[in-house]
This record gives sequence, structure tokens and C-alpha cells, in this order.
Amino acid sequence: MSFFDLGFAFLFVPIVVLIFIIVPKKVKPLVLLLASYILFFIASKFLIIFLLLSTLSIFIAGKKLNKIDELKTKALEKKDIDKKEIKEKFKKKKRRIVLLVILFNIIFLFIFKYLKFFTININSLLDIFKIDYNFTIIKLVAPIGISYYTLKAISYVVDVYNGKIEADNNFVRLALYLSFFPQILEGPISKYDEVADNIYNATKVTYHNFCFGYQRILFGFFKKLIIVDRLNILVKQVFNNYTSFNGLSIFIGIVSYTMLLYMEFSGTMDVVIGTGEIFGITIPENFRQPFFSKNITDFWSRWHISLGHFFKDYVFYPVSLSKPLKKITTSLRKKFSVRTSSLVAGGIALFCVWFLNGLWHGAGYTYLFFGMYHFLLIFMGNIFEPIIQSICTRLKISRTSKKYYSLQIIKTSILVFIGEMFFRADSVSQGFSMLGRMFTRLFVLSKNEFYRFGLDFYDVILIIVGLLIVLFIGILKEKNISVREEIAKKHVVVRWLIYYLLILSIIILGAYGNSYAPVDPIYADF
Amino acid sequence: MERLIEILEELNPDVDYKTCEDLVDGRHLDSLTILSLISEIEDEFDVEIPTVEIIPANFNSAKSIMALIEKLQEE
Repeated sequence: MSFFDLGFAFLFVPIVVLIFIIVPKKVKPLVLLLASYILFFIASKFLIIFLLLSTLSIFIAGKKLNKIDELKTKALEKKDIDKKEIKEKFKKKKRRIVLLVILFNIIFLFIFKYLKFFTININSLLDIFKIDYNFTIIKLVAPIGISYYTLKAISYVVDVYNGKIEADNNFVRLALYLSFFPQILEGPISKYDEVADNIYNATKVTYHNFCFGYQRILFGFFKKLIIVDRLNILVKQVFNNYTSFNGLSIFIGIVSYTMLLYMEFSGTMDVVIGTGEIFGITIPENFRQPFFSKNITDFWSRWHISLGHFFKDYVFYPVSLSKPLKKITTSLRKKFSVRTSSLVAGGIALFCVWFLNGLWHGAGYTYLFFGMYHFLLIFMGNIFEPIIQSICTRLKISRTSKKYYSLQIIKTSILVFIGEMFFRADSVSQGFSMLGRMFTRLFVLSKNEFYRFGLDFYDVILIIVGLLIVLFIGILKEKNISVREEIAKKHVVVRWLIYYLLILSIIILGAYGNSYAPVDPIYADF
Repeated sequence: MERLIEILEELNPDVDYKTCEDLVDGRHLDSLTILSLISEIEDEFDVEIPTVEIIPANFNSAKSIMALIEKLQEE
């Protein structure tokens, strides 16, 4: 299933909108929930049972955690008691529940996503030790969006445990939070307090929201049909036949892949956020002009933002501020500066974040390598930051100048292109081989070098124009200018001319037909 | 407050902490800097900052950080 199937945006969504408008206010959340479950059922059939089990598990856990809090309050009201001891006792009870629910949800994720990878590796280990036994490799088809809704479920129970949010007594609201149909396939992994009330309390579909929502959806279609499906031809050619291309072509291939990934994922987010907008629901943004980043840390605060927030809140800080690591930081503080002493705890937490980030993207060594690559870049960046700062001060280089920022953008982008190359490669060794060719055979031209990309002149022009339009909009957004608000201010003729141009460009210039290979939703497989 | 601003300036001197209101949202403080900041605050002000309090709203300005410290000292 893809949100770029015309049936989703131009049949499913309008039907839901129509029913949503007709039914009384009280029934509206049920309509959204039913629509979400129908969509899930269309894509994953009876695997919907796992989504329901997840929902039920966090609903019950929330209620239990609430009950324990009530009992704690009662216990603390008694006189002559050791309050600290009581608090600790109830905290332990709560922790047990949270761990159990996390484990319950993670087990499903493990079975569907990682079982095959682990079985293969265990079999390899058995072979190494010459043990004559092999486990049967089972590859299961996972329920759609399991990687996304599992993280949402975890974030909900942890937030209730921490007292950040109250446990929800309304099953429909919680179920809707976990399964809201625009978010089910590729996120964003928004937190309960960011969206749950917003979705549940949606009541109106205004003309403004309807127009703005569909504009955003169309922009997603523009990215997908004009740019992504064309770039895919080039990317496939280069990655599948990299040994026959020179370094420059490989470089063009990896830049194209990164652009493809960005356009596909951010385009899907346009459809997701646009669909929410139709119902007056604000779904948090998942991208913020990532190619304007000054370093890799900055990049990851602009790319797949919700996943970064999840790892920061539920892995990085809890690990780095855990008792054992805090002890290490405190003892190092006696000898080193504040920043240096935090590097050990920060480094260990960062390693956990990027190991899990790699694993979350998929069960494979290329993904683990991708995670470790970013861990090293970010960790090294932190180690060298004071050195770079002192070099710049000595050489009187302004780190806030436009020139310096431009160089930072170029450096960061190149590092991102290389990371995504390993991400796309069939194996880590293929990644290194491609990297090697980029340095050793940069300009060694072979016959018909660029013709072998599989694109004609018309395709190349459309890709470039498409990318320039997205870049232009990105520059305006970076300057806090809302393109849609600006268009809305224009005269009605100009406004509709722009809308028609967008619609016509998708209809006429979209990559349709047998010569194109539409890209399947990449992030839906993670 | 002055001591807090001194700590912040030690970590990243390029920011005017008296006026800046988007230390986290404007990405003036990255995760590792926040980690160093927490360690320094916990030492200096004798408080323990729980992870649940590490949210942008609490760290976006020197004023909000000070408010968090005072809240934790009262608890």
C-alpha cells in the first residue's frame, strides 16, 4: 500500500471526509477510528490483531499505572511513615508494569522484523563452531507500520510512568492515537500529548482546511511523480551496475539516491500532514529543510525529526543520566572540564541511540553500519568541536559568516550522501567498493557513460526543475516564509492559476507508463 | 542567575543568554551540551534533574532553566 495510490487521496480520503461531515459530533472520532482500521485491514488483513493487542496492552497498563498512583497518594496520607520508602515501593511496581508492556510490544516487533536476521546469524555462528544444526529461517510479513506504532505505544506508557501525561481512560482516543490512518504507514512517531486530543476533538472540515490540505497532498504527489519515479531509474542503474560506472557517475548516483529518499519520505509526509490538515488536525512536521544543516547533529534534528526525538527522549537522556553513567561523569569532573567529562556518558548513550537507530531501519549489516557511521561522525564532531573553535578564533575565521555556513552545508551534505550510499547498498563491501571507485576512477569516462543512466534529456530537465522548485520553497521556509500563505494572499485568478499548474504538471509530467518503475514506499518497510 | 549564565557561557560563548529565548529550538544547545549543563547545574545548585524535565520548554532560556532549578529546589 502507498499513500501515492490515487485511490487513497482521491477516493478513500474524500469518502471519509464525507461521512465525517454528515455524522453527529459524538460519532466523528469513531468514524476516524473505523477508517483507520479499514485501511489497516486492507493492507494487512487479520494482522490487525497485533495492532489491537498493542492498543489494549497500553490501555490496560495506563489504567494500572493510574491505580498505583492513587494507592501511593493514599499511602502517603498516613502519618508516621517513611515517605521515601513508600515512593520507592510504588515506583518499583510501576516500573515492572512499564517493562512488561514494553517487552510485550517489542516481542512482536522482533518476531516480525528481526527473527529472520537473527536466525541467519545464529546459524552462521553454529557453522563457525561446527555444530551440525540449523534453525529454520522464517520470514513473516509484518503488519503495516509496526515499527511506527510500536514506538508510539512505548512513548505513551513511558510518559504515563514519568507522570508527563495522565493515562487515558477513553479507549477510542487512545486507539485513535495509535492508529490514526494518515500516520499508520510511515509516521511521524508523534507523542500522545502532541496529537491525541487534537485527533479526538476534530469536528470540522472547513473550506480553508480542505484546500490547504489538498494543496499539501498535491505537493507530495509532485515530489513523487515528477522527481522520485524518474530518479529511481538512474539510482537503480548506478547501484546495480556500479562496477561499470566511473566515480563521477557513482557520485551522481548517490546524490540522486539521497534526493530520491528525501523526496519520497518528505512527499509522503506532505500527504500525511495534508490529510490531517483537511480534518483540522495538526500533525507535527517530520522534516525541516535538512539540506541546510551545518553539521550531522543539525541534520538529524531536521530529518525524520520524530524518530530523533524518540531516541533522544527515551534512549539518550535516560541512558546518559542513568546512575552508573552519572557516577562516571562525576568522577571525571574532578580531572577534566565539564564538556570532556560528559563525553563518556554522552558517547555511550549516543552509541546506544545509533545502534538502535540502525537496527530500527532494518535487520541488516548495511543499516547497522549506517547507524555506526553516524555515531562516529556525531561523536567525533563533539570531540573536535573545541579544537575547531580555537583554530577559527586563532585564524580569525567567523563561524557565523555566510561563507563558513555554505562550506558547512557542503561538508554535511557530502557526509550524508556517503551515509545514504551504505544505506542503499546491498552490502557494506559494496558501499566501500563504490566509495573506492569515487576516489580512484573519478573522471575515467567509458563509452556512453551518462546515457546508461537510463534517462532521456526530458527526464533530466524535469528532475532538475522539480528539485529547483522544492529548493526554492525550502529557502523560503528557511526564512520563515509560508509559501501557501503567500499564495493565499494573491488574487483569486493568480491563486487558481498556480493550483491548476500544479495539478496539470502532475497529470501531464508525472512519470507514468511502463518505462518508469514507481518506487514503493521506502520508509514503510522500516 | 549570574552563576547559571557563567556556566552557559563556559559551554557555548557565542550566545547572549540574557535575551535568547530559543536555546534548544534554535539549536544553540545540542544534546551533549545539555548533558554537560545538567551535570554542572546538579553540582552547583544541589538538585537532581529527572529526564522527564528535559524538554525544550525548560531549557529554551536562562530564565526557564533558573525556574526549573528553583522548582526542583523547592521539592
